[in-house]
Amino acid sequence: MKVILYDLGSEYEALIESKCDRALAADGKYAPCQGCFGCWTKHPAECFMKDKLRRVCRLIGRADELVIVTKNLYGGYSAAVKNVLDRSIGTSTPFSTYRGRQMHHTLRYGKHDLWKVVVYGEVSETEKDTFRYMAERNAVNDGYERSEVVFLEDMAELEAAL
Amino acid sequence: MKTVLINCSPKKHFCASAYFLFLQSLFVGGEKVKGKLRSHADYARLLEQLRDAQAVVFGLPLYVDSVPSHVLRFLEEMETFCRENGLKLRVYCVANNGFIEGKQNEPLMQVFENFCARTGLAWGGGVGIGGGVMLNVTRILFIVEIGLLVLNTVLSVVNTGDLFPKAAWISFAENTALLLFFNMGVLFYLSGMGRAIGKGTAFGKKYTRILIPSFVFILFADIFFTIISLLQGGIFRGWLAKKE
Repeated sequence: MKVILYDLGSEYEALIESKCDRALAADGKYAPCQGCFGCWTKHPAECFMKDKLRRVCRLIGRADELVIVTKNLYGGYSAAVKNVLDRSIGTSTPFSTYRGRQMHHTLRYGKHDLWKVVVYGEVSETEKDTFRYMAERNAVNDGYERSEVVFLEDMAELEAAL
Repeated sequence: MKTVLINCSPKKHFCASAYFLFLQSLFVGGEKVKGKLRSHADYARLLEQLRDAQAVVFGLPLYVDSVPSHVLRFLEEMETFCRENGLKLRVYCVANNGFIEGKQNEPLMQVFENFCARTGLAWGGGVGIGGGVMLNVTRILFIVEIGLLVLNTVLSVVNTGDLFPKAAWISFAENTALLLFFNMGVLFYLSGMGRAIGKGTAFGKKYTRILIPSFVFILFADIFFTIISLLQGGIFRGWLAKKE
């Protein structure tokens, strides 16, 4: 299954939806993670906050291919996108294992294929390096085989990048 | 010299970020202002504090390899505020993560570095701490140790009239030394960063962790989460249940 998480406006909705099995709009209409670990220990893969991200890890967790379309913010995801990622840690369990010779959580939904990040907005060379490094780290952390980062010069390149 | 220490943990109580910021504040001289960043309601007060400060220290947890989203929102506001008011601060951060490798905080550090470059602020560096949750538990264990010492002293006075029960003091000293040892890496780097903050210089990015072997750490972490999940009921609701 291919999932696209995007922080673009509704004018891109049709294009995004035509390119994936499930589209998830990071519209900012949800609360940030409270760090309670309830999605691990109390009601696994479900948040105590009853907004649209309540069961988002059950969607993201089942993605073989996750494409994240985000505006650049200091070499990382926009706050709206990061909020969704923060709320989706229920894709893993609280138990730990070694992956890439470092400690990580075991995966609730098993291995995934591709963690792809499509970045728009002005971005410096240093920020590009941060983005590539972060995508690599995310892929290891969330059990993706590979990661890829694409920087858009122009929004016209979006369709080809998805 | 004014330093603003911002605790960015979304948790109300018992957050590891508060513990590390407390340790950091021990090594910082001059005027110190502590603030809490949990929601938009905290922005105005924190930004006002930054106006006449020379340094700001962010104490925060690592979320999904980076800065938690509610902190990103604040950084965006802070960028505008600092530009509009021509602020020249030095930015430091004390990041902690649940995994044992402090190095896993590296992407978060880079985001702060990029934030400083965009905002025109000086990047002072940071300390990335692995095993933050478990180090936070050591402060509770220390209080438990004090409690045990007091209890043993009372029992000793009642039973034998001895005000200094030797065995209890030895046990207290041993256990406290052990807890202190776990925190040594953190104390070493935070003291160094405290001196850098005082001098207004860059400290660089340093990574440390709770000083125990990682396989022991993982064992304890797994036991911890099993007990919590049992107590909260999730072990029966989730892991044994069929996955959607």
